[in-house]
Amino acid sequence: MAPVSDSSPAVSEAVGLRTHPLTGVVQGALWAAAAVFGLFTSMFNGDGWQGLNPVLTGLILLIGGLLIGMGVGFLTWMFTRYVIDGTELRINSGIITKSSRRIPYERIQSVDIAEPLVARILGLAELRIEMAGGKNSRTSLRFLKVADAGSLRRVLLDRAHGQTAAEEALDEQRSIITVVPPMRIIIGTLLSLDFLFAALGTVAVLIAALWFDNVIAFIGGIIPLASWLVQIVGQRVIQQWDFTLSRGERGLRIERGLLSRTSQTIPYDRVQGIAIKEPLVWRRLGWQRLEVDVAGYASQGGESEGNNANSTLLPISDAPLANAIIAELLPGADPAIGNRTYASPRSWWFAPIGFRYRWVAANDSTFVASEGWIQRTTSIIPHHKTQSVELSQGPLQRRLGLATVEVHSPKGPVDADGRNLPADAARATMLAQLDRAREARS
Amino acid sequence: MRRVDALFEPVVGEWKRNSPRLATVRRILTLIFSAVFLVVGLVLALLLPDDLWWIGAIVAAIASAGAVWGWIWAGRNQRSWGYAENADDLLVTSGVMFKRLVAIPYGRMQYVDVEAGPLARAYGIATVTLHTASPETAANIPGLAADQATALRNRLTELGESHGAGV
Repeated sequence: MAPVSDSSPAVSEAVGLRTHPLTGVVQGALWAAAAVFGLFTSMFNGDGWQGLNPVLTGLILLIGGLLIGMGVGFLTWMFTRYVIDGTELRINSGIITKSSRRIPYERIQSVDIAEPLVARILGLAELRIEMAGGKNSRTSLRFLKVADAGSLRRVLLDRAHGQTAAEEALDEQRSIITVVPPMRIIIGTLLSLDFLFAALGTVAVLIAALWFDNVIAFIGGIIPLASWLVQIVGQRVIQQWDFTLSRGERGLRIERGLLSRTSQTIPYDRVQGIAIKEPLVWRRLGWQRLEVDVAGYASQGGESEGNNANSTLLPISDAPLANAIIAELLPGADPAIGNRTYASPRSWWFAPIGFRYRWVAANDSTFVASEGWIQRTTSIIPHHKTQSVELSQGPLQRRLGLATVEVHSPKGPVDADGRNLPADAARATMLAQLDRAREARS
Repeated sequence: MRRVDALFEPVVGEWKRNSPRLATVRRILTLIFSAVFLVVGLVLALLLPDDLWWIGAIVAAIASAGAVWGWIWAGRNQRSWGYAENADDLLVTSGVMFKRLVAIPYGRMQYVDVEAGPLARAYGIATVTLHTASPETAANIPGLAADQATALRNRLTELGESHGAGV
């Protein structure tokens, strides 16, 4: 507790606090793991490492990565200090080039705690602070004791909502909404389309390789498919293991992970939108996956937008529970909304089957857009989070009297596009959305 | 044609247009670029052995065609840009083939950029770009006269502050 509770603010503001001394050890272990992982990946991809003894090289890399990582980690730790003052969190770091990062409390979008495996063994955790906007919007403090990380998060979230330390104690009353059993996640993943595709592809390539007795030629096919499979299992099963959703004073809390634990907080007023994803098989069983847009989350994911494990709100659930959670985060939202504007039948040319499943609608509080017949995605954006609205038309669409309307949200899984609506309806939707957004802001 | 125009009209009033000097700047850039390729093509045509001279000729032909296309495109594209400052949002339109109309509520603007390359500066024009928390917004207005651009930036910043609605 000591480093966090600002019992002696004068001291901590002048010098700043340090993270946990074992930071270097964790850093070293992480680097060593990354080095060995990198070696094996490049060996499997056949990048000219065949001449080396894998065990020996692996061992050298392991020890080298460990030592260098520990050294660098220790130096970084020596020179990193953080200061919590009245208006901002400041992190001063850098051995040669000094840098000082300022995080004004009111710009904090969410605060997460991550426990990578090694850190978890040592009882340490990384604190991740997300701010809105662009690159480098995430700031990490690594590593703190788990209890310290928890209380620092509470302090930051309270300050982010303009509260002083006195009211802190109120927060930790949480009630668990749901725990998603690992079995359910495994079954859900087994029944999801991309998993089936990756698994069938791998088996097919394997059989072909054995049949033609030409293993080398098929290695090139197996490796991408198998690593895709591993990635799916990693993101959907291992990272979502023991998924616990609970409700707190200011937002939902997510705890998940088999090897590395992550604990995320999603404040109610920071939710930019929710996407409901229903793959083909799941729809029959009435299952859904919920993903959430929080400014700052997706900018970390790089290419794998929408696949980001961070933005999962509920990995698998029945419709009633999903609807209850949507209603809690976005009051007034209605995924089964009426009065829909469907894509024009003239657009069958662009999507022979899919056009029937494209529609947009809006009620007093949210804008809803849905598309997809293999995987149906329904995006919900509350009016007061509408960033901008776009109307666009390509040459073919002009010929057919169609237009596309898009309601923009921060980068993430939510993508509320109404493609190929009748042109007049698209313009009407855009203007109406501008009005609704204006009313919701005022 | 009339119908299409109605689709991309501003809600109230008229579009404010950007400067035709944008077309001039883009034509100069296109001509420089094509000229380089034309020279490369001609040199290839002269240097390559007899049965391969046509490779150079094709490069030169593509360069010339590109110059003509770029000349026409620059004019049409410049005329397609327009913006309107409404009471609560900024509207920006652009495009000839692929038309686009984007509306950004002032309260959603995170920041506004003004930038100008060396050639644009020589011709006294600049590009104003609006950023919201969403990368899809991508609202830029190229080819504004430099003083117009600065004034717009200042106005937008003020409006953004007075309408400010957070993220």
